[in-house]
Amino acid sequence: MLRMRVLGTSERQPARPVLTASLDLAARLPRLILEARRVSASVHGIHGRRRAGPGETFWQYRPLVTGESASRIDWRRSARDGHLFVREREWEASHAIWLWIDRSASMGFASSLALASKVDRALIAGFALAETLVEGGERVGHLGLTRALASRRIVETLAQAILVDAKGAEADLPPDAPLPRLADAIIITDGLSPAASLAKRIATMASSGARGHVLLIADPIEETFPFTGQAELFDLEDGLSLRVGDAGSWGLEYRQRLEAHRDAIKEACRKVGWTLTLHRTDRPASEGVLRIASLIAASRGPGR
Amino acid sequence: MLSSLPIAFSAPLALAALALLPALWLILRVTPPRPRRIDFPPLKIMADLIAKREMPAHTPWWLLALRMAVAALAILAVAGPVWNPPREAGPMRGPMLLLIDNGFGAATDWPERQAISESRLAAAAREGRPVAIVGLAEASGEIALSEPRAALDRLRALALQPHAPDRSAHLQRIEAFLRSAPEAETVWVSDGLSIADDGPFLARLKQEADARRLSIHAGSPSQLALTSPENLAGALAVKVLRPTSAATATGHVRALDLKGLPLGDAPFIFNGSDLQASARLTLPIEVRNAVSRLEIVGERSAAAVALLDDRAKRRRVGIVSGTTTDTAQPLLSPTYYVSRALSPFAEIREPRPGSTDPIGELLAQNLSVLVLADIGALDGDTVGKINSFIQRGGVLLRFAGARLAAAADDLTPVRLRRGGRTLGGGLSWETPRKLAPFTRESPFFGIAINDDVRVSRQILAEPEADLAKKTWAALEDGTPVVTGERRGDGMIAMMHVTADTTWSNLPLSGLFVDMLRKVVSLAGTGPSEAQGEDARVDTLSPTRVLDGHGAFRSPPATAQPVARTFSGRATLAHPPGIYGPADGSLAVNALNPADSLKAIDLAALGAPILPVDKPVAFDIRPQLLVLALLCLIADTLATLWLGGRLNIARRAGRAAPAAILLALVLVGAATPEMARAQAAPTGAADDRPPIPRELFAAGAVTRLAYVVTGDKAVDDMSKAGLAGLNVVLGARTALEPGEAVGVNADRDELAFFPVLYWPIVAGRPIPAPETLRKLEAYMKGGGLVIFDTRDAMSARPGGGTTPEGEQLRRMLQTLDIPELEPLPRDHVLTKTFYILDGFVGRYDTGTTWVEILPPAGEDGRRPARAGDNVSPIVITSNDLASAWAVGRRGEGLVPLSGSDPRQREMALRAGVNLVMYALTGNYKADQVHVPALLERLGQ
Repeated sequence: MLRMRVLGTSERQPARPVLTASLDLAARLPRLILEARRVSASVHGIHGRRRAGPGETFWQYRPLVTGESASRIDWRRSARDGHLFVREREWEASHAIWLWIDRSASMGFASSLALASKVDRALIAGFALAETLVEGGERVGHLGLTRALASRRIVETLAQAILVDAKGAEADLPPDAPLPRLADAIIITDGLSPAASLAKRIATMASSGARGHVLLIADPIEETFPFTGQAELFDLEDGLSLRVGDAGSWGLEYRQRLEAHRDAIKEACRKVGWTLTLHRTDRPASEGVLRIASLIAASRGPGR
Repeated sequence: MLSSLPIAFSAPLALAALALLPALWLILRVTPPRPRRIDFPPLKIMADLIAKREMPAHTPWWLLALRMAVAALAILAVAGPVWNPPREAGPMRGPMLLLIDNGFGAATDWPERQAISESRLAAAAREGRPVAIVGLAEASGEIALSEPRAALDRLRALALQPHAPDRSAHLQRIEAFLRSAPEAETVWVSDGLSIADDGPFLARLKQEADARRLSIHAGSPSQLALTSPENLAGALAVKVLRPTSAATATGHVRALDLKGLPLGDAPFIFNGSDLQASARLTLPIEVRNAVSRLEIVGERSAAAVALLDDRAKRRRVGIVSGTTTDTAQPLLSPTYYVSRALSPFAEIREPRPGSTDPIGELLAQNLSVLVLADIGALDGDTVGKINSFIQRGGVLLRFAGARLAAAADDLTPVRLRRGGRTLGGGLSWETPRKLAPFTRESPFFGIAINDDVRVSRQILAEPEADLAKKTWAALEDGTPVVTGERRGDGMIAMMHVTADTTWSNLPLSGLFVDMLRKVVSLAGTGPSEAQGEDARVDTLSPTRVLDGHGAFRSPPATAQPVARTFSGRATLAHPPGIYGPADGSLAVNALNPADSLKAIDLAALGAPILPVDKPVAFDIRPQLLVLALLCLIADTLATLWLGGRLNIARRAGRAAPAAILLALVLVGAATPEMARAQAAPTGAADDRPPIPRELFAAGAVTRLAYVVTGDKAVDDMSKAGLAGLNVVLGARTALEPGEAVGVNADRDELAFFPVLYWPIVAGRPIPAPETLRKLEAYMKGGGLVIFDTRDAMSARPGGGTTPEGEQLRRMLQTLDIPELEPLPRDHVLTKTFYILDGFVGRYDTGTTWVEILPPAGEDGRRPARAGDNVSPIVITSNDLASAWAVGRRGEGLVPLSGSDPRQREMALRAGVNLVMYALTGNYKADQVHVPALLERLGQ
């Protein structure tokens, strides 16, 4: 017999075990990925800002590569000798990783098949990622709560910010504001809000070119709906209820619907070049976190 | 209790179980068990479906009703219901006399009548009663009792007859039978029609009815009948009869020729409660003369058929008078009476006024009868014409008059005495004479003499030996008034009185009309038709007769010949039909012209009148059980549907959002903003505006292009790849391409780009058919499309198709592309700029496909082809763009898979070759033959 456990608002806050677990997880994450990224991407220091890119101050002259637009030629410098030069500026854009963890009522749910509730898993994953990224030299912040920090106590900082944020415990969508162009977003949610509104938020956040990674947390019974017979379903947020005559056949329909819902989110991510990762709470947290970490590393690859 | 309903139960006690139905209602109405509660967060994404998904707490009433109906039906079926149970027939223990009307009146429902008779026989057989069967339209014979089984055979052998039943003829035998079996029950399956005199028969039946031993099966008679067809002037008229005013009021009469081909239709309408109507078929005379059969459309009975014989054919009659035509006083004209008398059944022709040769002119019109009213002298030429007319079968009818009395020609049947005989004149003692009855030899035999006819003056015939034989009509004193003689195939008839009223009042009488009709009917329809002199007294054997349903059949053994003068109603011995040879036929019809259809007042007999067409005693248990089973099936389906196991509701539910979306789109299209938004392709991930035309006009630069797929990663890679290729092209070749552009194949013009790089992404929508047509045009117009499935890594040799490969296949299914082959080693593509062995990209294992080259001719040349021999399509799976892609500082963006350290370089060279190939065509193909060219130049 399956049992479901629903967490109240106070239970959806990061508790001490969560922090411990996330730090443990972060400790176990391989640093190699981020180390490798750091070595390859930034020759000049810990933050790869000291290189050519959009900015104000002069960085260097370099010879024109054939095929480049002629408008980039710095004619003053080029006039000195027979070679064409391009003036480059130092890259000065701020580069941060923005975390957002869904703590709405629907996240406070755990079935007997799961290892943890969804919100626990989301917090652990989020904190572990934050810890890992900060250790890797990135600045991490929680959207709408903190600024981007490179603090060593990032996990505690984030947890405290979340604890005092009562309003955030009801929001099931990330804030509707564009991210800076060179920021990365990590959205940890169960994605159980209308796909269109979620897609809109993602589009908004990515509107200025930010990259992002969505980690969908799902309980196993949400994936499989293993019920049969008559049942009455209750929603945790909007107070909806539904009496179904035959849960088995309804489940079939539900799974199709869920698939379509996921496809819509996936499409929204793909449209802006974001990644989508599905993580089930009956799997170890390290799976999802590891994947997100590697995706971040990959997206920071050459070309940026 | 159920006596008012035609239903009875063999086990009525079982009906008591119906009282249990309310209890069953309560049991069935049990509320479904409370569902278990499940907290389920994802319910939110199903929120729009919730309204339609309510599960009723109680079993719905209609399902309850259905189940109750099943139970009730089962109980009813157990009770053994019988529909139309046999009525209590009283103490009928004696034999049964079954009288069946099998005349034409029974034709409409003959199978039902047979069925009801059979069921009565079966009932008698169940009760062990002997049966006697009498077909009332059959010949009267001894009525004998027989076993019901034998009687059943007799009944089945009883055929529908085409004539009216002569019921009174059976009366004597019936009397005898009833005397011998006084206990007998009489059953009369009656058609309800009375044609002949049925008085004694009905009186006898009334006796039986009074003794409560008679039952009648009869329906409301609805039989229509045709009678007295007449070929009138201008139309064929026929009377339509109906027995009661409740019968059909309108219909059509159809005329058919001898072969059964329809010639015309005419409607008829019974006015009010009239029992008689007439139909007129307006047809040309030739067509009318071809009509041999009239029938009521839709009626299948012998009475609804009227047959026409030669007598009904209309003759063309020419009338010539010797007197001056005085149109001012028509009553004095001798031709007036003749033409009036002839016009109902003949077509009258008169010579044109002032004609110089009136007789010759008329004879040229293919007459049947030529009437000469008081024509005196005839010139020899005309006499010759008339003679030949008579020899060919024409009939010459002459009327006497003052001129004829003076004339002398041989165109008279008898020799005439000079001078006339005047009766009742001032100088005569004698009074005007009446006509004597016609003798048997006369063609007029059968026509009643009108006593009012007086002849006051006549031309006398010279006494001859055969005068009596030639006399067709005579006065009381024996002097002939009408004489006739056959000559050749024709005939000469002579009226010894004038055609007007000066010598007699014969032209004023109906007798005159009848006589003229007879004379005209003696003529064939055309002069060539022959008629034997002795045919008049001959009998005619049946040729084709009608069966009871009015269809022609060969005469049965009982049919006997009729006399030529037969004019009665059809009987068993003389069934309706055509008698005699085709050129002298006689039609016998089921009804006489004077007959009418009378409905018998069956109610006056006082016997129970039972319907004809209702089956008796019908066990409805199987039907009830089947119905209960069907209800059970419906109940099962309904239960499944309520339990959500049927897909109907679900499909509807799924269609609803689509319908809402459609409605929204339609509403949105009304506002201009929305309309513009809709003009851009929805669904596709590319929201960039179309490339403006001015960009091309300003640039006019050769550019490479890639197709925007909607997948950002792929598109970025394509862009980076082409940028990298651009750099290499600019550095190494004469081509300095402009910045590569991404195009949307759906809406952008492709013609500006020599090369289109099209990475295939699995799962993207297939391009619209219009896009594919555009692509076809692009390829045929000299463009080069590079399809890159980018799956060489995941594809396994011999393994299944990759998703990208599948996607490409689906795309190319409707695209008109040439036959492909793997890139041959000596293909121009390998030589256009670099000499290459293969086309590698990020991977080096994929095969590159190009259009197959036509086989080389014997001289080693390949035939020229359109498009400058450039393959319009290159398909690769090596992910070229990824290999070309360079970052900001010229570094490769992605690692390559192969072991060759120069793989990126080779990939770029392949790209250069591709672009050169697209731009230069077969120029390099010619270079392949440079050694041969040089050799020739040297010679």
